[in-house]
Amino acid sequence: MPQHDRTSQSPSTLPFNFVPQEPETAVENNPHEKATTQVDTVISALEKEFTDAIGETVVYAGERTVRVDASRIVDVCVFLKDKQGFNYLADLGGIDRFTEDDRYEIFYNLVDLNDSKRIRLVIRLDEEKLSVSTLTGVYPAANWNERECYDMFGITFDGHPDMRRMFMPEDFEYFPLRKEFPLLGVPGSLPLPPQEPTGELTMDPFPAAHGSKPPKSFEEVQTTDGDEG
Amino acid sequence: MSIINDTDFKETLKFWPRHNEAIYRRLESKHSWIEKTSSGDGSPVDALEQEMVLNIGPQHPATHGVLRCVVKLDGETIKKCVVDIGYLHRGIEKIAENKSYQEFMPYTDRMDYLSPYSNNVAWCLAVEKLAGIEIPDRAQWIRMMMSEVARISSHLLWMGVGLMDAGAVSVFLWTFQAREDIYAIFDEVAGARLTVSHSRIGGVATDINDVGFNLIKDFAEKFPASLAGWEKLLNRNRIWIDRNIGIGYMSAEDVVAAGMTGPNLRGSGIAHDIRRFEPYLKYDEVDFNIPIRTEGDALARYFVRLDEMKESIKIIRQCLEKLETIQGPVRVEDAKRAYPSKNDVYYSMEGLIHDFMYTDTGVSPPKGAAAYHAIEAPKGELGFYLQSDGTGTPWRAKMNSPSFSNLQALETMMEGAQMGDMVIMIGTIDPVLGEADK
Repeated sequence: MPQHDRTSQSPSTLPFNFVPQEPETAVENNPHEKATTQVDTVISALEKEFTDAIGETVVYAGERTVRVDASRIVDVCVFLKDKQGFNYLADLGGIDRFTEDDRYEIFYNLVDLNDSKRIRLVIRLDEEKLSVSTLTGVYPAANWNERECYDMFGITFDGHPDMRRMFMPEDFEYFPLRKEFPLLGVPGSLPLPPQEPTGELTMDPFPAAHGSKPPKSFEEVQTTDGDEG
Repeated sequence: MSIINDTDFKETLKFWPRHNEAIYRRLESKHSWIEKTSSGDGSPVDALEQEMVLNIGPQHPATHGVLRCVVKLDGETIKKCVVDIGYLHRGIEKIAENKSYQEFMPYTDRMDYLSPYSNNVAWCLAVEKLAGIEIPDRAQWIRMMMSEVARISSHLLWMGVGLMDAGAVSVFLWTFQAREDIYAIFDEVAGARLTVSHSRIGGVATDINDVGFNLIKDFAEKFPASLAGWEKLLNRNRIWIDRNIGIGYMSAEDVVAAGMTGPNLRGSGIAHDIRRFEPYLKYDEVDFNIPIRTEGDALARYFVRLDEMKESIKIIRQCLEKLETIQGPVRVEDAKRAYPSKNDVYYSMEGLIHDFMYTDTGVSPPKGAAAYHAIEAPKGELGFYLQSDGTGTPWRAKMNSPSFSNLQALETMMEGAQMGDMVIMIGTIDPVLGEADK
């Protein structure tokens, strides 16, 4: 434990105010780097094949993230699957960057099972045009992941065979992983089963959080028809 | 024109009408709908002459949680199946975006609640990759050993419940006896039986004491004998084999296309295991095999999981050996990267400040960093894709859950199968809905 020499400082110079510091910069030689993500040859092949559709490549912790033009994503994936052997889609998901332009991002995590390679493609979508071609024709595994992405961010996938919500019911009208969606949910947006067999649907699952007081379970249920005396 | 598209569902579907209507439309029933009880002229509809739409779940004991399968039946044959999940959706990813990295770790226990330790390790490794933290050797060995114990625990539940689905209740009791031993281990090592939360960012919470160490040692000694006993009972059991052979067949191309992971992938002859694919912790330093079968049916997956338990015991033994020699801290001693030890917190001012700061802000990976780290959980590839905005909470945490990937294939697997095999197929996929529903 470092020994602090406090006696040399007068009390008035002791910094008790918070000094904002620049966050840590990227770590050199990340101990968790994997050999599978060293895919520079694949990226150069991609750049050769699709010169203008391939954007910058970001390297962090040894992982390569390739920016792809959203309109060419299917072509790029077909090329990666047929020519480069990336035969397995491990993951796909959306990201809300909460920026003015190109607000949404979708990442594709592709794996080459035979040659042990992993690459990540990223496309960006603007809020104005929230749709992109589906990947289900190339990787059938993208089906549920794209549905999840639609469910959470409202990004639709053109040509998807089954564009329903994944987790939330169809009756829900919001997209919960967008940054503006409140953490407590929207009252009344998701009806829950009635408290009694013939009762009304429960419109607000968190009434106390939204300011109203629900009856406790031990309290008498208020009946509207007064013939019970 | 199918009748289902003309049906007015307003009266029949009172709860979440649009959701249920979408599912029924997805089924594309060509003929009739069993809820329609009378034909046009008033005479009752003969159910046997119609295709039947049957809802299995979400509240059904054989669906291993709140899985809902809406199937269209022609007699005993499943014509089409629509799997509806989300009944356990808690918005885990939204929660992660609003918690600090360390705060979110206990939530991972609740995802795959049959192997909580693996989830803790997966989350912590992902954060450590994002922040570039290397953890001490001893912590790595402890994590690895406990993850393998968790794998056995998960496979034991799959086995017991799978056999109970097939009608053999006694094996369920035996596997739960062994799981009880595992729970005793977790209780001793982590302080909790189910929601262990033992892993910390930068190491593990506590070192293994002698009692826990001996419990694991005993378990590793005794367990192969009980496993051999169950194998003796099951491997040549006429009923068990006939219920499983050829059921839920997926070819090697199918499983890759459908994105299945874990034992489901290896049961179809695809040699893919994250422990070999991108070795994490100390998996490149231990000797173990990846069991593979090529048949691609439920029986193949049964053998794969059975053999995986034996390999896990092999890994646990090597970990026990290593842990006897490798001593040292179980957490990083950098206060910006891991919690200080309780000794520091209670007896030094700096320790207390560090503890407070770490709880308040915690580890803050560089702004704009993004990393994906996957582990081989009992169910398959469990990975987290994290994006940092430079603060103590992730900007985006995407969870790649193996049960979700596996369940996707259930729809194709069910098509054309017999109704009675449905529970076997759900069992052989081994889904945990806490994880699939996020």
